Parts: sequence; structure tokens; C-alpha cells
Amino acid sequence: MKRYVILIAYRPWDWASATPQVRQTYFDAHDAFQHYVDEHGAHLGSAALGDADTATTVRTAAGDTRTVTDGPFAELAEQIGGYYDVELPDLDSAITAARLLPSAYTVEIRPVIRVEGYDPQ
Amino acid sequence: MTPDEALVATVRGEWGRLVALLLAQFRRLDLVEDALADAVEAGARTWRRDGVPDRPAAWLLTAARRRVLDRLRAETMAARKEPLLVVDAEASAARGSARADPGDLVDDDVLRLVLMCCHPALAPDVASALALRLVVGVPTADIARLFLVPEPTMAARLTRGKRKIVTAGIPFGVPDATALPERLGVVAQVAYLAFTAGYAPGSGPDLLRADLSGEAVRLVRVTLALRPDEPVLQALLALLLLQHSRRDARVDPDGRLVLLPDQDRTRWHLDEVSEALDLLERMPAAVTSPLAESYRLQAYVAAEHATAITAAETRWDRICRHYDALVALNPSPAVRLAAAVALAERDGPRAGLDALDELDAALPHSHRLPAVRGELLARAGEPAAAVEALDLAIARCGNDVERDHLSRRRAELVAGRE
Repeated sequence: MKRYVILIAYRPWDWASATPQVRQTYFDAHDAFQHYVDEHGAHLGSAALGDADTATTVRTAAGDTRTVTDGPFAELAEQIGGYYDVELPDLDSAITAARLLPSAYTVEIRPVIRVEGYDPQ
Repeated sequence: MTPDEALVATVRGEWGRLVALLLAQFRRLDLVEDALADAVEAGARTWRRDGVPDRPAAWLLTAARRRVLDRLRAETMAARKEPLLVVDAEASAARGSARADPGDLVDDDVLRLVLMCCHPALAPDVASALALRLVVGVPTADIARLFLVPEPTMAARLTRGKRKIVTAGIPFGVPDATALPERLGVVAQVAYLAFTAGYAPGSGPDLLRADLSGEAVRLVRVTLALRPDEPVLQALLALLLLQHSRRDARVDPDGRLVLLPDQDRTRWHLDEVSEALDLLERMPAAVTSPLAESYRLQAYVAAEHATAITAAETRWDRICRHYDALVALNPSPAVRLAAAVALAERDGPRAGLDALDELDAALPHSHRLPAVRGELLARAGEPAAAVEALDLAIARCGNDVERDHLSRRRAELVAGRE
């Protein structure tokens, strides 16, 4: 089994302007995805995220000061709207699962790696 | 055969099978290729001393297996973890060598290897380099020369590809029957990219690396042998053989480009032409894959050239029909440019020039478009406009030999006017 984080990029207004019927197709697609994952591997975690305009950025400025700013307000057509953390046999099964998600999404599949020398407590 | 020749022949013929067998057993792409390279080195020493073994490929496989096991043992010692890993590997090594007739299984493993290297999650240039290296055993230096990059760049590209396969979990496996044709289409595109790399050089004196394009033909042959009824592979092999059959006639003894009508047709490889025609004959009439149909139509065009006794006898009427079908399938600017050239041959330069007019917006940087226009203007009796078009083509052309050819043509036109 390999572990993948599946990042979902979407256009917020697609969702905001979606009719109840369209929203139901999104829910159905997520159900199909979860069903596939349960059948072929394991669902370790997932979340839907607030839009980028609700984000807060902590970054190290001059010296070692950690500054806090509002947003990133990235001027991108798409933004990350959620993720799934799953275990599946290989990339092909991850691709098959990703294809089940709503077609309006752009989906990025990232393998989870173990960082050499770091053992979390 | 000397021991060295025997080793070269074994590596050339068996590399993909050996990589596939080792991968099937150990699933460690990071170890397999190095282990095999070490085994070949050991073979070079031992075979010179003791003679060529009875079964050279089996000798290399055993030597490579030992090296993988050594590495796995060393890893275990270093980590003092997972002692079961080596036991597992040794147990499966014992099973592997005990396998009585691995014929079919080996073929499956080679197909797994081809599909792994040509996975759509790998960039096409990475995939084609990996397939040439791992499936047909082309040395990294030769792949670098084929793709016109320095050897360290190609070595880094191969390393990146292998890391992606391992880290992203690209499977060493065959998808189910519904997904396989699409995946074989990706294999075909990857092989075609490698083939054209040898014929479409960027710049410099190394105009044709056709010997290296032959390695891409070998990749298609290996894959077609595993899936002999796959239309996309049949059509692609036919197309490649027809194009490749002209390699010896494309450059004159001074290294200058020779265009199709001026080529010495006795230097074409007729055995390859007839093999290609057989392949086209065997293909089913109806093909569902647009990619397969596109390769087939291009092969039909190439077959018309290959079977014309002289350039003057070329059946341009039939070529135009094939191009019409091709444009309907894929109206890309490059296809339309080729179709315009064929139209000019059938209906005269004016018809070709009219067809070119629609292409300027789509091909703003192409040197081929003004080169073709210059040639057609010259034939239409407009040398001044022809020279102007050739000037633009020369300015845009990045390849020494092609630019040299355009400059000579320009000089002829200027001389003709005086």
C-alpha cells in the first residue's frame, strides 16, 4: 500500500453558484470516491477547507520575526478547497479514484514520504 | 563470436527481459539497473577468462540477482531493521530460479516494464528516455545524443524518472483490458517521440542520428511482439519502418540533406518497406482509435512514396486523399502544411500557395512554412517573391544542414534571375 494526499483545486464560484441538483452530483461523486477508497485501500483523513480569503499566513521576515498577514489572496483561477489522505495500492488506483471526484475539480495526487532521520514522537 | 561480442549481443537482445525479471522479483527499480550493469561488467572480465557461458542471459541474471541480494543484505545490516526483507527476497529468488518454464510470465513482465516506463504520469521526454534505457538497453550517452542534450543532463533525466516511478508508486503492472489500449497508445506516442528525435535535429552538424532512431523501432517491435493484434502498434511500426527505410539516402557523402525526389531509391531498405506493407495489409479495416488511424494514414502516404519507382511516378492523387482524411481527423497546422505540399504536386503551385495562406497565423515561427512558400513561388514563376520567402525561412531555421540547403536554393534562384 502507498499513502497519497489528494489535493482538490476548484473555483469557489462554481460551488457558490451551483444549484441543489448540481451540488448533489458533487456529493455523489465524493461518495463514489470514498467507496472506491474503502474497497481498495483505506481512508486516513480528509477535510474541506475555507476559501483562501479566510486564510492567515505566518512567515519569517527580516531577522527571525514571525509576521502574521491576512490571506494569501492568490490571484489564481483555482484554489485548494480540500484534501483526502488515503492509502491505495499504487498510482493507477489513485488516478482511478481521482477520476471519480467532481469533474470541475483539478486534482493533484502527491505521494506521502517518510522524512529520513525524523521519527515523530 | 568473441566473448565481448557475445556480451554486447546478449545485452542488446536481453536487457529488457532481464530488467523485467529482476523487477518482478525484487520490485526495486533503484537497485535493479545498477546490479545488472555490475553483472555486465563482471561478465566482461569472466567471459574473457573462462569463455562464454552456455546460457549467457541466465548467467547475467544470476550475477545480477546476487548483487541485488548483497545490496539488500547491506541495507538490512545498516538499518538493523526489517530482517524479514532479505529472507523474503531470498525465498522469492529461490522460487524464481526454480520456475520451470517462465516463457509467458516473462512476456508479461516485459509488458509491465514497457507500461511502467511509458506511464502517462511521466513527462513524454522522460518516458521515452526511460523506455530506451530500461526496455531496449540503450546506453545513456546514446540517448543523450539522440535527444541532443549533454550526457549528464540525460543521466539526471533518467534518475528523475526512476525516482518519480518509485516515489509516486507507478505500478509495475498491466491494467485491465478496458484501460490497456489507451495505455498502449501512450507507449506508441512515447516511441514515436524517440524515433522523431533522431530525424528532427535542432542544430549542429549531427544532422541524422538515424541509427539511434532504429532503437525506437526496436522498442515498438518489442511491444508489438507482446500485443501482436494492437492496431496502434501495427500502424506505428509500419510508419516508422517506411520512414526509416530511407535513412541511407537522406544525406549525401558530404553530409548534405537530400530531399525525397532527389534521393537514390536504390539505397532505400526494401526489406523494411515490404515488412511495413505487410503490416498495413494485416490491419483490420475499421480501427476505432484515432491515434492508430492517424498513424495508418501517415503510413499510407509514406507507402505511396516508398512504392513509386521514380519521383515522377508518385501517385499524388492518392496521397492527397490520405491527407484529406488525415486533416479531417487531426487538422493541426503541421498536417495542413504537408497536405498543401501534396496539393501543389497534384494541382500545381498556385493551389498549394492558396492553401498555405491559411497557415501563417498558426505557424508564426516555423521555417518550413516560408521554405515551402519560397519553393512554390519559384515554381509559379515569381523568383523575387520566392527569394524573399526563403530569406525568412533562413532567418528562422535553427539547423545548420537545413539552413545550408535553403541558402543553396536561394543562390540558385538569384543566379537564375541574372
